[in-house]
Amino acid sequence: MAGTCRLLIVDDNEDILSTFYEFFNSMNYEVKTAIDGFVALKVLRDKSNSFDCLITDLVMPNISGVGLISIVKKEYPHLKIIAMTGYGDQPGALASEAEADVVLFKPIDLFKIENTVSELMNLKTDKQK
Amino acid sequence: MTTPLIGVSNSILKIKELISHVANTCLNVLITGETGVGKEVIAQSLYSESIRSSENFVKINCAALPETLLESELYGFEKGAFTGAHKKRPGKFQTADKGVLFLDEIGDMPLSLQSKMLHVLQSGEFSPLGSDQDFKTDVWVIAATNHNLEKSIAQKMFREDLFYRLNIIKIHIPPLRERKEDISPLIEYYHRLYQSEYPNSNGSKPDSDTLAKLCQYEWPGNVRQLQNCIKKQMVLDSWAKIFDELPKEQESIPQLPEGDQQNNVPLSATNEFATNEFATNQTTIISEFVDLSTSSEKLFEDISLKKIKKLASDRVEKEVITFVLEKVGWNRSRAAKILKISYKTLLYKMNEFKVHPPVK
Repeated sequence: MAGTCRLLIVDDNEDILSTFYEFFNSMNYEVKTAIDGFVALKVLRDKSNSFDCLITDLVMPNISGVGLISIVKKEYPHLKIIAMTGYGDQPGALASEAEADVVLFKPIDLFKIENTVSELMNLKTDKQK
Repeated sequence: MTTPLIGVSNSILKIKELISHVANTCLNVLITGETGVGKEVIAQSLYSESIRSSENFVKINCAALPETLLESELYGFEKGAFTGAHKKRPGKFQTADKGVLFLDEIGDMPLSLQSKMLHVLQSGEFSPLGSDQDFKTDVWVIAATNHNLEKSIAQKMFREDLFYRLNIIKIHIPPLRERKEDISPLIEYYHRLYQSEYPNSNGSKPDSDTLAKLCQYEWPGNVRQLQNCIKKQMVLDSWAKIFDELPKEQESIPQLPEGDQQNNVPLSATNEFATNEFATNQTTIISEFVDLSTSSEKLFEDISLKKIKKLASDRVEKEVITFVLEKVGWNRSRAAKILKISYKTLLYKMNEFKVHPPVK
């Protein structure tokens, strides 16, 4: 199982956030959540936290997902980033421009995201070894 | 001199915190809020807390200039580019290079210039009018508007792609009437400021009764209106006169409870559709869904039974859904059964109407 992979999940929809939290928790990930990009940034800048992967929605108040991705790429370059959007092409294109590792369009199957996470983390190849 | 961001309300404190976290990222910012709330003050604060504070802060008001002039102001022109272009002139994108370009009233920018703006933001390159050369520019774009851009996008008045490119960081400043705790510190600040600017003026500060009255007022012109009142007070030294000069219908709001409650007609319902008292109840209901203050031509355009039906049913549905969810302790599958809709529909509707369980 994924074991030590630490995830930060950001979405301004609390239902989605709690669904994601429960799902990834049950898959043995270490999960923290944030309700928008600003809260996420504060979680990231809190030195007691550290993460391997960021899963973020794009259209959010305060700091948007695109903003968060740009900041994370600069300040935490090791962090893998998955962007999710339900607002058509525009935000998705901006997320790719901001160098998100993967951009997914909603609605997204949770298992597919989990797959993407473990691929990004190279966990699959580790398992095969 | 730059005005500091004054306020003790939660929203202002949160904005200050947000500014301190993002000022150094130099990511595009969109500042929204009604006229006079202090959008430029926010832009200035972002600038002065950023690493660009030693460079230029260049401001341009996109609503104040006609289209062609706005274009030449933004991008500059070469000598002979058009009649009257006697010599070359740099545009704001050039003067703001390495610094900040503050695009005020971006919601009023003509569509044709929006596409050019989008191109510059995407590529970081622009060419002055009459020039075949492209110039690189490194500006931090901070835009502001009092329009609801989402609405403008729906009306095809604003480009969606430009909106998303500007809306990387969004700062919304609530109107002053929604953060009345800021009124007192603002008065304090401007009183002191004008006293030092005009040492001979002797306008007194408000006593506690006057302050209470000032806090009751709705301030349709927000901080700017309050600021002007204090300036006036420094000259007139009579709060009574200041109150007299405040727009009347607004001032009557705090006094309503003493008056006739039955006549509680919305202020906007003052045109031909609300002239007789008999129509009061009717217009009150209608005004909840249509803006009755516009001209009758515009009003007839706005009235659509289909739209009103949707708005009205949405409102009732939201109430019922919230009511049932509260009754069943936010158990969504139970609520869906009671409402006789599918679980998926319930989640969809909760999302649409922004019905969220209370935060634990």
